Amino acid sequence: MSERDDHDLRDRFQRLRHEDVAGVTSFHATLAAAAARRAASPRAPALRVAAVAAFIAVLAVAVALAIRGRRGIPIDLAAARWEAPSDFLLQVPGAELLRTVPELGRVTPPFHYVDTDWRTP
Amino acid sequence: MSPDALELELEWLHAAAFGWALACCAGDRAAAEDALQASYLKVLDESARFDGRSSFRTWLFGVVRRTAAEQRRRAALRRLLPLAVLEAAPDGRPDPAAALARAEATRRLEAALASLSRRQREVLHLVFYQDLSIAEAAAVVGVSVGTARTHYERGKTALRRLLEEEPR
Repeated sequence: MSERDDHDLRDRFQRLRHEDVAGVTSFHATLAAAAARRAASPRAPALRVAAVAAFIAVLAVAVALAIRGRRGIPIDLAAARWEAPSDFLLQVPGAELLRTVPELGRVTPPFHYVDTDWRTP
Repeated sequence: MSPDALELELEWLHAAAFGWALACCAGDRAAAEDALQASYLKVLDESARFDGRSSFRTWLFGVVRRTAAEQRRRAALRRLLPLAVLEAAPDGRPDPAAALARAEATRRLEAALASLSRRQREVLHLVFYQDLSIAEAAAVVGVSVGTARTHYERGKTALRRLLEEEPR
């Protein structure tokens, strides 16, 4: 791009500038309007505080929910009972012997005396 | 800087700051005046403080740009949430009466600028309208000098092409 083009662009912008400046509100009027605006809106700090408080509350709820989600649902393992679909295969005669602890010195009915000297006639 | 000195500086730059506010508000005069008033309040209340790291003009233009952006966001929020607590805001369109009064060439320039990206428009305005250097424009817009230069070159090419397409 040539320097002449730059001059042309600069001229266009300067014309725009002259038109903008022609309609500008005076500095003191702008300052007075700004002061009036400040006086008319004392609620701005209160709104800001309310917005910050609401944000903190939402954040606290989000953090609490996240922590709760990470812990998961508590399960009482002692009370839990689960049966496998193949459990019926273990229901055989004498299966109760497998679930009890044998006591020493006590003969339980299923045990029989076997004569080792017995011979067939 | 003392409050009196601040006020003097603001008064000195008032017309240029209004032109910049107008560019930041897409030609909406009411929005530009709002942005300028809010910027002056920030400066005089010291919620925006000049630290001397750049020229006062560059810093003030940065404040105006941020304030105009805040207003745009607030206006967009207002369109989503029609709350009674939020006062009515300008709709962001140029004032029709003002647009009518503009010269044809100026209107063509404004229409061409409107089709550029925001960054390109800002950099071109700062360089050609406000006579800032590309480095100063970069400081106002908050980008690196290299990025500003890219926006400047691409924006200038696009603007030139758009202006040539229009009948002269």
